[in-house]
Amino acid sequence: MFQSLTDWLIRIGPRLQRAFIEGDRWKLYLQGLGTTLELTVIALIFGVLLGLVVAVIRSAHDQQRLGRKRNPPLEILNVLCQIYTTVIRGTPMLVQLFIWTFVIFPAQRNKVLVAFIGLGVNSGAYVAEIIRGGLMSVDAGQSEAGRSLGLGYFDTMRFIVIPQAFKNILPSLGNEFITLFKDTSLAQAIGGAEMLYYASTIGGRTFDYMPPLIGIAVMYLSVVIIFTWLQGKLERRLRESDRR
Amino acid sequence: MIDVKNLSKSFGDHLVLNDISQHIDPGEKVVIIGPSGSGKSTFLRCLNLLEIPTQGTITFQGTVITDPKVKIDQVRQQMGMVFQHFNLFPNMTIRKNITLAPVRTGLMKQEEADAQADTLLQRVGLTDKADAYPSQLSGGQKQRVAIVRALAMKPQLMLFDEPTSALDPEMVGEVLDVMKELARDGMTMVVVTHEMGFAREVGSRVLFMADGLVLEEGAPEAVFGSPKHPRLQDFLSKVL
Repeated sequence: MFQSLTDWLIRIGPRLQRAFIEGDRWKLYLQGLGTTLELTVIALIFGVLLGLVVAVIRSAHDQQRLGRKRNPPLEILNVLCQIYTTVIRGTPMLVQLFIWTFVIFPAQRNKVLVAFIGLGVNSGAYVAEIIRGGLMSVDAGQSEAGRSLGLGYFDTMRFIVIPQAFKNILPSLGNEFITLFKDTSLAQAIGGAEMLYYASTIGGRTFDYMPPLIGIAVMYLSVVIIFTWLQGKLERRLRESDRR
Repeated sequence: MIDVKNLSKSFGDHLVLNDISQHIDPGEKVVIIGPSGSGKSTFLRCLNLLEIPTQGTITFQGTVITDPKVKIDQVRQQMGMVFQHFNLFPNMTIRKNITLAPVRTGLMKQEEADAQADTLLQRVGLTDKADAYPSQLSGGQKQRVAIVRALAMKPQLMLFDEPTSALDPEMVGEVLDVMKELARDGMTMVVVTHEMGFAREVGSRVLFMADGLVLEEGAPEAVFGSPKHPRLQDFLSKVL
């Protein structure tokens, strides 16, 4: 027992050496991390923009007063948005990525670009629901007060409703960021060169999967911990107006 | 100033306002009283189209504002509204609460609006709160700020929707004092309230509403002194 443990410890040095240092392999992990972060950030920006549009359409539709004339373009947009969120939230992310890659863009060689689209469109559906919840969480009296002062719908949303909604949705949005960050590893399955892609390539080449996989697990975890800490700081700053 | 013709409003099958016609002259202080569910808040909210009337027309300074083609934001800029629950914007300082609308609607520049905010806050004795956030204020202070915020748009008409109903009793007076001062300055006011003392003292005309109808109206002395309608007699016996 003791003997095997020391053997393991003696062998771990060369294994780590092979996985991370030989042939400057550590650079590949960093390159993968770069792509992973890039994928996360761009997909999230895309997702938030898409989500904001969908959420505003959906809540503008739901806020229409009873007994008022229906607005046909808004009806159509609302149905489209509903189909979008239902389909995207109701099918697995990996299936969506495969559809983007092999059905919609079979000729596209740049798999990271396809992953941007796949992840962004997926994230948008979740973010839309998060933002919609946030918009609904703001008391109706707030927009009534804005409108009664003569501010238009968009000014009222921009200065009054959205900033308050943003504060309320920050925890869920941070959660979405973390999920998305980890889900970028799915891009490996369509050949996107992110962290998992490099880790499994190196594992295959050295016939030793343990060090690279544990290595990237630690990298994922570190990024999530740093991000959670930053998010906590931002939330405390936004709560400033609540101090009594 | 404002002319209401055959105004009806229903929510689904529920008829809240039943064919109301009213005329309000400049400088009038109209106080609306009545039991809860009588439609008085809905009537007030129809005046600036926070509720869209089901039927009837509202004319404000010669413009038929119930016409869908009218730019409602421009009409609302001339009508201030004060809410029961203040509805200050919690994400902004008091100064920003007051200056946002005048600046965004192009009524004045930021510096001008800031100066006006200071003057108005001075009038209600809250100069030192300009940089505070709403959550740091008491209810009475919040409502005084809400009045100032509406006044910052230089409105022709002020609508008050139960402005003291959500206040602790000791804070009612400070808000009513601001409203009385506003009345003395000649502002046209429509006030929904349960403060009968205020109605009697400030009102130039009192409307008693019940079941979506104006059952009785007249000078405060007449309405409170010699009520005719049995519903009004019953209501007054309960609140006075």
